[in-house]
Amino acid sequence: MERTFFLHVENDSPLVNLHPALKILALVAVNLEAWIIESPLALLTLLLALIALFRALRVPLSRVGRFLAFAAFVVQAIMFSYILGSAIPGRVVLLRLPWGTYVSDMTVLYAAAMVLRFMAMLVGSTLILAVMRDVDVVYGLKSLGVPFTASFTVSLALRAASMFLEDYFKVRDAMVLRGTDFSSGSVFERARKYARLAVPLMVLGVRRMLELSYVLEVKGVGLRRRRTYIHQFQLGWRGYVVAAALVLAPILSLVAKLWLGVLTFPGWPLR
Amino acid sequence: MAVTGVTAGLCLPLALFAIILIPIPGLPAASGFWIPAGFYFVMTLWFGVWGALGGHIATTIAMGYFSGYTLHVWLDGGLGDLIAPLVCLLIFKLAKADPELKTKRDKAVWALAVPISSLVCGLWVHTVHLLFGIITWPFWYVGVLTYFIGDSLAVFTVGTPLLKTLTGYVKQSPMYIWRRG
Repeated sequence: MERTFFLHVENDSPLVNLHPALKILALVAVNLEAWIIESPLALLTLLLALIALFRALRVPLSRVGRFLAFAAFVVQAIMFSYILGSAIPGRVVLLRLPWGTYVSDMTVLYAAAMVLRFMAMLVGSTLILAVMRDVDVVYGLKSLGVPFTASFTVSLALRAASMFLEDYFKVRDAMVLRGTDFSSGSVFERARKYARLAVPLMVLGVRRMLELSYVLEVKGVGLRRRRTYIHQFQLGWRGYVVAAALVLAPILSLVAKLWLGVLTFPGWPLR
Repeated sequence: MAVTGVTAGLCLPLALFAIILIPIPGLPAASGFWIPAGFYFVMTLWFGVWGALGGHIATTIAMGYFSGYTLHVWLDGGLGDLIAPLVCLLIFKLAKADPELKTKRDKAVWALAVPISSLVCGLWVHTVHLLFGIITWPFWYVGVLTYFIGDSLAVFTVGTPLLKTLTGYVKQSPMYIWRRG
């Protein structure tokens, strides 16, 4: 089993062993694809295809399950926003609201399309992110032409986050032991208590920053210095085919939508 | 690199807490009290653009990598959180104010710079959301207002004590961007 940021994935999963640059390209492509498509039917097809890919690529589908509560929250947010705050023309007006907006048959369909778009992006991103390792972030960004320093900074941020999470709990526990009650008081009182956590956290942060800057200097990491790399990832002809497909798919979808009129939302904006 | 990495690392878990603990219904990736803003505004005033970049990376990763938000929500929010502290820094630079907030003038500049920066950021984020069809017009107003209030409150609550108590300490660091008096 291969340990990724989030879970253990089978070693023989084709997605785990994908070139890091392809993982990042796939992440961008799947989001672009869902963003370009407006047709509810096409979005539903994309969503179902992405769910099927979990099984085909041997990535545990339970990963999506962890996002269900969050997805439900965003779905209600989208529905709430469109039903109460939009004026999308349709064949029948179902409800007129006092502040000037209304709900038509197209409102419901458009909101459903937006939900499908969000779900496709969520499921697609989760599929790729479930197999992402810290090595993939650095090497993937580097392979795509992002400077090493920027790739390394993103990796550094992910590592630093887990350190600060530990610091946060240590400082909070120390404050609790000294009598601070974070669960009592009004929202503002609680916010003020949490704000007091900021000073020791920031002191730790500044100290780490100084130590880290000295370490990076000593190790010769700099903006203009050339680097050598421990891992070697070969793209191969299959990799180039996948890369071409990932770049071409959103372009073709955009062409199909703009010039052929397919993948568009039926009926609104009025065409 | 160290400033950006550490700022991002520090802000990342805080961004997650803010999104999870105080979400705004109807507005994706919005929080009623954007705690990390207090940190990256301060880091930007101390360390310049590197601190702002840290906030940008933290927001982008927190909204996407861990919370499952979609690509344009990440990029939009992330860019907004890059713009806001830079606007604040620009106002401080133009006004020649000291981040230690010792004088009344410095405090007045801080009191003005934070709401202006939050408003600029709120306008950017929610106008882009509107253009992408994520939110609708009536929620644009709600979004801009909650962003303005949520960011300003967090920056004032978290950032003010940090600037007052720690600027003296940070001034000894070689990465501090202001001329030492």
